[in-house]
Amino acid sequence: MNKWEVFVDDLSELSEGEGLELTIRTLNDGMHKYTYKRVTAEVSSSLEQYADSLQVRFGRGQLSDKKYSINILGEIDRFPNYQ
Amino acid sequence: MSAILKDEGGAAIDAPKSNREYIERLMETGDCVRIEQEVDWDNEAGAIVRRVCELAGPAPLMENIKDYPGFKYFGAALSTYRRVAISLGMDPDTTLPEIGKEYLKRTNAEPIAPVEIDRAAAPCKENILMGDDVDLCKLPVPLVHDGDGGRYIGTWHAVITKHPIRGDYNWGMYRQMMYDSRTMCGAVFPFSDLGKTLSEYYTPRGETMPFATAIGLSPLAAMAACAPSPIPESELTGMLAGAPVELVKCETNDLLVPANAEIILEGEIIPDVMVEEGPFGEYTGYRTSPRMPRVTFRVNCITYRNAATLTISNMGVPMDEGQLLRSFSLGLELDKLLRSQGIPITGVYMHPRSTHHMMIVGVKVTYAGVAQQIAQLAFGSKLGPWFHMVMVVDETIDIYNWDEVYHAFCTRCNPERDIHIYKNTTGTALYPHASPHERKHSIGSKVSFDCTWPVDWDKINEVPTVVSFKNVYTQEIQDKVTSNWEAYGFAPVK
Repeated sequence: MNKWEVFVDDLSELSEGEGLELTIRTLNDGMHKYTYKRVTAEVSSSLEQYADSLQVRFGRGQLSDKKYSINILGEIDRFPNYQ
Repeated sequence: MSAILKDEGGAAIDAPKSNREYIERLMETGDCVRIEQEVDWDNEAGAIVRRVCELAGPAPLMENIKDYPGFKYFGAALSTYRRVAISLGMDPDTTLPEIGKEYLKRTNAEPIAPVEIDRAAAPCKENILMGDDVDLCKLPVPLVHDGDGGRYIGTWHAVITKHPIRGDYNWGMYRQMMYDSRTMCGAVFPFSDLGKTLSEYYTPRGETMPFATAIGLSPLAAMAACAPSPIPESELTGMLAGAPVELVKCETNDLLVPANAEIILEGEIIPDVMVEEGPFGEYTGYRTSPRMPRVTFRVNCITYRNAATLTISNMGVPMDEGQLLRSFSLGLELDKLLRSQGIPITGVYMHPRSTHHMMIVGVKVTYAGVAQQIAQLAFGSKLGPWFHMVMVVDETIDIYNWDEVYHAFCTRCNPERDIHIYKNTTGTALYPHASPHERKHSIGSKVSFDCTWPVDWDKINEVPTVVSFKNVYTQEIQDKVTSNWEAYGFAPVK
């Protein structure tokens, strides 16, 4: 199970049951903790729905009480011209 | 050829030339604490630096970082005036006005050009990572504040760029967040030197811009990178240090960087992709600027010294080195500007607790409107976007004594006549009082407070008399009371 975190302005950005484009960061321990990736994913407010967990923060860093699970469908390369 | 400056007594300036030499000096004076136990890069190091700032404690040198053996942290490099004095090679107990006087003397002297040295002699080339080896996570990039948008590698550093046409260099302290192993992003305001170069040249052309980030600079190079001076920062560093700064060419571009910096990141600012940056604990003492797509840096090469030290500034409520040093240099640069315009000022001071938002200007009032003239010059200058209040007092007020300034403000500033508001000026995304729209577009507003007596008031019959011990009693009475103070039964006055 991987742990992820996302920043949103409003929880409505995390609509369930549809593919979303999200910029998420890993909370897994280790030297790459807090690094980001852009993904397509689906989220659920049911923590058992998907294997990975998703923690949410708001725009000024406030931690949301609400937790999600997340299923990453694919990664988006934001820098295809800069390898 | 090296130019060596002399101080007023004729002695050579003995300022530390590197971050390591600076730390040694701080150790000798008790202004640095060596932390040998393990410190976590994930919040703990940041929390130590924050507490040091809030307690005005000695600068922490952290020698054992979790997950990163062989690296060190050095925080709160210049968050006290003692450390500013030491960085300039002065006695730690030198008073602030004396430090300011020395800064003005050195920065009004002849420029001292940097010298380029061979890469074999450059400490920053001791380790080189290129190609697939480049990974920012190999460096102990700290999570400075809990809840920050990322790990910030650039908090006390210089982003070094070169103008594509003019060829002049810019060293600027633009914050940089690690996005992934190869990518950083940061806040580059549109009115800044780098912001203007990007918007005027690179972005319209869709071209990448070479950059280098130098971390673990000498304290005076960091001071220069912070200072809004028209003097090129490498020359300004030399003028402050009394000797040329040594530069070396990058591995992957033609930029010149400080040879004794602890860490150098080389790469390109990319014109067509912006990634989300922030939030971040900022110098105003808040997280204010919105998380949004910002200028994005791709890293191609990392070079670093053996046992490299990553410098950390932890911005928040006063007093950190960002507030202290920006206030120090903004005030003194405004002093130079106003004197260059022939304004009869007696001094300029920006209290760091204003989070460099309020200029206090002392002036000998000899003509009407001088306070507004000062405010307009200050706000209209290159310095202007960084503050939004100017308070002008006359020469009888000690600008360094907030009690006196505050008294003048509360008693002499007429709400109807002496407060002037300037609308739709340049601001920053970091202004806590600005609306979300104003932050997004760097729109500001300014205010000036004229705390001087009007020149057309009769000085005998209309200007009130200050009632204070030093002003209403004869010198004879003052001396008698002062000399008998303890005999009266009072404790000695310190």
